[in-house]
Amino acid sequence: MKKTILLFTMVTLVGASFAQKKITTSATVNFDATTKLDALPKAENKTAVASLDTKTGAVAFEVIVKSFSFGNPKIQEHFNTAGWMDSDKFPSATFKGSITNLADIKFKNDGTYSANVTGDLTLHGVTKPVTNTATVVVNGKTITTTSDFNIKVADYGVTGAAIGAGKVSTDPKISVIAEFK
Amino acid sequence: MTGPEKRMKPWIKKILIMGLILLIGGCFAVWYIFTEKFSDTSKREAAFTVNAMDLIHEFEKYDSLSNKKYTEKIITVNGRVSETETADTTINIKMTDTTSGAYIIFAFQQQHLMEAKQIKEGDSVSIKGSCSGGTYSSILETEYITFKRCAVNK
Repeated sequence: MKKTILLFTMVTLVGASFAQKKITTSATVNFDATTKLDALPKAENKTAVASLDTKTGAVAFEVIVKSFSFGNPKIQEHFNTAGWMDSDKFPSATFKGSITNLADIKFKNDGTYSANVTGDLTLHGVTKPVTNTATVVVNGKTITTTSDFNIKVADYGVTGAAIGAGKVSTDPKISVIAEFK
Repeated sequence: MTGPEKRMKPWIKKILIMGLILLIGGCFAVWYIFTEKFSDTSKREAAFTVNAMDLIHEFEKYDSLSNKKYTEKIITVNGRVSETETADTTINIKMTDTTSGAYIIFAFQQQHLMEAKQIKEGDSVSIKGSCSGGTYSSILETEYITFKRCAVNK
């Protein structure tokens, strides 16, 4: 009997902990590398996978690099070539991190909160630590997280003639928007 | 005095005209390439027409080969909608293998968002779009395949 109760308790606890982890497969990641010389290098990816664990503060997102949709076919082609993202060799980009001020965010109370996020961003096969703030909006059972940050592409081994010529930003802006229901 | 030696030699003239034509042609080509936009997917011909579950199983079994075969090609996928996901003004449609959890997700071209919003869970649909490839998700621990610039086949 004791074993049955213990097993039941464990199953319940495991189930409860899983329930804290929220996942969306329709997060949006925007990429903006436009400069004064060129307004074309910007794209959006609407099929990113993102997760948020409201209990531990663990956050993550991942994208298929070729899912970035540009307005211009030639720029999209350049973006995926070996000179840029080399997406045949490095098909995914990922972020894994955590909210460091979890106590400040009341996931059970509607409101807008500022989250400090730190973690590792892997891009072009290179992993670098990233620290940034994110806005967390709690509205009933829906949690929307938004984070804007810039990366230095050279840190990730992304170089190229267009970057050197000033047609592509050396520190593009990345925006991640995830709605968890 | 306007001697014949001041006139441009015919072969130089020809080269200059050819050069000018090439320059104008080159400028036009550059202008065309960098102002070109992706065409309406509904008007493009599909390279492959596949069943959703067959496509998922192909990616699960032969990920690398499938990526080479389908990525950046226009594909028509027929299948049953397992889920619709809305975010802000956009909508994505999913077709999921309930056994493994692997799925295909379709993001739509702006001009086809309204028709995508009419689709409901359980509907059998035909969707055409640009395959972005598939990979294993470490978050979901399953394979997923993404499509961009999709349109609903009518």
